[in-house]
Amino acid sequence: MPELTLENLRKEYGGHVAAANISLTVADGEFVSLLGPSGCGKTTVLRMVAGLIAPTSGRILVDGRDITRVPTHQRQIGLVFQSYALFPHMTVFDNVAFGLRRQGVRGAELQQRVQQALASVRLPDHARRYPRQLSGGQQQRVALARSIAPQPQLLLFDEPLSNLDAALRDEMQFELKRLQRELGITTLFVTHDQTEAMSLSDRVCVLAEGVVQQYDRPEIIYDRPATAFVARFIGRSNRLDARLEARDGAQCHLRLAQGARLVSHHAAAGVAPGESVAVVVRQEDVLLLSQAGEHTHRARILLRSFVGSRVQYALQLDGGPELIAEVAASADQAQLQPGDGVHVGFRPERVYVHADASGRAPAAVPMQARP
Amino acid sequence: MSTRLAAWGLMSPLGVVLLLIFVAPVLFMVPLSFQEYIPGMGTSGAWTLENYTQIATDGYYREIIGRTLVLGLGVTALCLLLGYPLAWCMTRVGPRLRLALTLLVIFPMLLNLVVRAFGWIALLADHGLINNLLMDWGLIEAPVRMMFNLSGLLVGMTHIYLPFMVLMLVPAIQSVPQDVHDAAATLAAGRARIFWSVTLPMTAPGILAGSILVFVLSISALVTPRMLGGATYKVVATLIYDEFLLTLNWPSGAALAFVLTIIALAVVALSNRVLGRWGGLS
Repeated sequence: MPELTLENLRKEYGGHVAAANISLTVADGEFVSLLGPSGCGKTTVLRMVAGLIAPTSGRILVDGRDITRVPTHQRQIGLVFQSYALFPHMTVFDNVAFGLRRQGVRGAELQQRVQQALASVRLPDHARRYPRQLSGGQQQRVALARSIAPQPQLLLFDEPLSNLDAALRDEMQFELKRLQRELGITTLFVTHDQTEAMSLSDRVCVLAEGVVQQYDRPEIIYDRPATAFVARFIGRSNRLDARLEARDGAQCHLRLAQGARLVSHHAAAGVAPGESVAVVVRQEDVLLLSQAGEHTHRARILLRSFVGSRVQYALQLDGGPELIAEVAASADQAQLQPGDGVHVGFRPERVYVHADASGRAPAAVPMQARP
Repeated sequence: MSTRLAAWGLMSPLGVVLLLIFVAPVLFMVPLSFQEYIPGMGTSGAWTLENYTQIATDGYYREIIGRTLVLGLGVTALCLLLGYPLAWCMTRVGPRLRLALTLLVIFPMLLNLVVRAFGWIALLADHGLINNLLMDWGLIEAPVRMMFNLSGLLVGMTHIYLPFMVLMLVPAIQSVPQDVHDAAATLAAGRARIFWSVTLPMTAPGILAGSILVFVLSISALVTPRMLGGATYKVVATLIYDEFLLTLNWPSGAALAFVLTIIALAVVALSNRVLGRWGGLS
C-alpha cells in the first residue's frame, strides 16, 4: 500500500489562493482527515489529488512517483462523493462492476469481486436494484463499494456523510472506519465536521484559508492546538481578550480586559509582556468550584441549559466577561441555577494564549513533527 | 383530494378546447375512411374496407409510406448526429457564448418555411449555386440531381428540424451532474468510455424526446416535401393533401392519415421501450 505526499501544492483562481503551498504526507494505510470550515481549500486539495483540478504549482507523489500530471483515470484512486454520484441508469451490480470492467475483470471473477465489495458494505442482496430504489445511506454504501472494488491505491472522501441524517451518519462512521482498517487503504477524508474527523482519523490536518494550521493526531490537535484558529475551531471554546503581564518560558500571567487575572502554561512563541493576546479556554475546562482558591474568580450563573449528557451554563465573571462552562450532567455542579454565585477557575495547562488578538488564521505556521 | 380536483379544474378549459377542436374532427374522419368512393361522384354511402386494403396491397402506396418512414428516420438520425455535438458544446461553454449559440440555433426558426425551402432550391437545383460552382470548376460535367429525391428532402428537413433536437438535448446534457463524470473518471474510464457508458445513456430521455419530436414533425411535414420533392416525389403528407384537394378522394385520404398516425404511434412506443431500457428508465 502506498504513501501519499503533497509537496508545496498550490492552487490559485485568478488572484484568489484556494490552497497555499500545502505539504503533507499520508503514511501507508493511514487515515487522514482534511478538516476546516467551508472555503478553507480542503476540497480543492482533494480534487487535486484526484486529478480533477490541476494545481498551479507543487507536486503530488504516490510512493515517490510524481502523479501531478497523470490524468484521473490512470491514477488508481477511489473517490466517494457527498452526492453519491452513482450511475442512475445502471443496477447496483453494474455500478460496482464499472471500475472492475475497466481493469479487464470478467466473468466469474467479476461476479465474485462485486459480491465481495457489496458484502463488505453489508448490501449483499441489492445487486439487481437501481440506485433510485435505495435509501440515501444505502446509495452511499454502494458508492463506497464501487470505489473500493477495483482495489485503489488511494481512497478519497469528499464529505461523504454530509447528506445523511444524524443517526445514519454515526453508523456510517463506524462502518467506514472498520472498512478502512480491514482494507488498509491509504485514505484522505475531507470534512467540516470535527467530530467526524476526530473519531475516524489517525491524523487530522486542520486547514484555514488555504493554509495548514496543524497536522497531528486528533488527541494532540484537541489538547494542544498550535494556533488560535485551531483552538477556536476544535471543540467548543471561549475566546477572551487579555493582556500579557509577565511570562516565564511558556508560563505566563494574564489580565483580562475587565481586570480578572489568570495563568496559562501554553503561551504561543513570540508573545511579549505588554501585548494584547487572545485567550482560548474550552467550555469543559472552565471549572465551577464551591470555594474560592488561588486564581479563582467570582461569577454568577446567567443561564442553564440541559443538553443530554451535559449541562451548559452562561456565566458572568465579576468585573469580567461572559463565559460558557460545560459540566457533565451527573456532576454535583450540574444542579446550579440561574442567579447562583459560583467560583470559576481555569487549569493553567488548559488555557491557550495566542498572539493574534483577532483570532484569525495566521499566514504560516510551523508544522508539527510526525508522531 | 382537493389539489387533485383543482388540477382537473385547471386543465379542463384547455382539455375541452383540445377535445372539441382537435380530437372531435379527427374522430369524425373515422367513418369517412370506411366510405366507398366513386370517382367523380364522391362517397356512395356504402361501407367498405377497401381504402385500407389498397394501402396495404398497392405498391404505389406502400412505396410512399416506406419513403416517408425512411425520410423520418433519416432526418431524425441526421438531427441527432449533428445536434448532439452542438448541444454538448453549448453546455460546456460560458454563458455569453451559450447565448450566442442558442440564438444561432433558434434563428432559422424565425424565417418562414417557404423562404427556407426556396433557399434550398436556389442551392440544390440543377442550375442552382452548388451545381453551377461544381461545373464551373470542372469537377462535374452534368448537374447532379440534388432535388426531387431523398437526399434533397433529407438536407432541407434536417435544417428545419435541427433546432427542435438541439433545444431538447441541451437540458438533458446539462442535467448530468459533473460528479458522475468525475466518478467515472476515478474508476479508470477515459473520455470516450465516459461518453458511451455514462453521458449518452444518462441523456436518453432527451434523445428520446428530441427524436420523437423530430420524427413526428418530419413524417407529417407538408410544405418542405412539396417544394423540395416537387409533384412527383411524394411523401404521405403530400399524398394525403393531393387525395383531399386534387382527386377529392376523401375516404382514401382519411384512411392514409390514420395509417400514418398509427405507424407514428407504433414507432414512438417502440423507441420509448428500447431507449427507456437503455437509459434505465423503465
